[in-house]
Amino acid sequence: MAQVITITSGKGGVGKTTTTANLATSLAMQGQRVVAIDADIGLRNLDVVMGLENRIVYDLVDVVEGRCRTRQALIKDKRFPDNLFLLPAAQTRDKDAVTPDDMIALCNELRREFDFILIDSPAGIEGGFKNAIAPADHILIVTTPEMSAVRDADRIVGLVEAYEKSNPKLIINRIKARMVARGDMMDTPDVVEILAIDLIGIVPDDESIVVSTNRGEVAVLDRDSMAGKAYNNIANRLLGHDIPFLVLDEKQGLWAQLVSMFRTRR
Amino acid sequence: MGFLDNLFGRKQPTSSSVAKERLLTVLVHDRVHLSPHDMDEMKREIIAVIERYVEVTNPEAIEVTLTRGEATDHLKADIPLGRSRQQ
Repeated sequence: MAQVITITSGKGGVGKTTTTANLATSLAMQGQRVVAIDADIGLRNLDVVMGLENRIVYDLVDVVEGRCRTRQALIKDKRFPDNLFLLPAAQTRDKDAVTPDDMIALCNELRREFDFILIDSPAGIEGGFKNAIAPADHILIVTTPEMSAVRDADRIVGLVEAYEKSNPKLIINRIKARMVARGDMMDTPDVVEILAIDLIGIVPDDESIVVSTNRGEVAVLDRDSMAGKAYNNIANRLLGHDIPFLVLDEKQGLWAQLVSMFRTRR
Repeated sequence: MGFLDNLFGRKQPTSSSVAKERLLTVLVHDRVHLSPHDMDEMKREIIAVIERYVEVTNPEAIEVTLTRGEATDHLKADIPLGRSRQQ
């Protein structure tokens, strides 16, 4: 029986889709049977991040409205043809075409065949968000160490409680170690203290994410990617392994420290 | 780099600590659903009540704030009173 894990954030652009693609791929790399569902109806994106955009025939709304069987809408990831699938969002349809009950029914159908069902939630706190969390067994809240993202994450924590989902886990994304070191970006303990939920992962700001997304690949497949390493660690924690958090300190010489310090003095 | 900051006499708080403080304040307000307007309104009413009992020398100096505690949030009012002796 699959676990249903919803990746959400409140604020847009903090890395929900990238997180979903990387966790899905990482879990598949470890032999888990995984389906990633793009619940962002009207703003489909998980397909391009996973590099599967050219193979879409049916989508989530087609499944919900009975125009195809669920199996027919699942796109096979060629890198893991036996165990990684995408159910894409509809691109142009009415975003109210799907209800929370539809999502619950869909996931119940998929649970039998998979180990993990990952749902990429849309930004915001409207209907699409409610659809995305309705079937969730676990919720991952993605934020960046910026005020607006953390504030929105706090709203999501409140809403998750209101929907009687317990114990959401936090992913802090795009941490810039150099800015943290000079006191210009909130550090992990600050964000954890403010949101007061359990941390499941920290992901460094990493240019390799842009490069891998450009190529339709995902960072976890790139051995040299720090962000990829961070996502692999999160996937391992989802599997119940006890993995220490990455140390994101950038090695800086004394000279670089002095320069950056004087630069930021006002 | 804390000791380096001290060594060079850097006194200004870092932007990250400013962000944290601002966030904590804004989140307390978000969670209590108290808009700045309602907060002002409440402050005015509190002053009116206090003034019925004691002399408030400088209403401008009154501070009503929402702060974050360990388990609960707190509404705090700091009201300086006049010190003139009874005549």
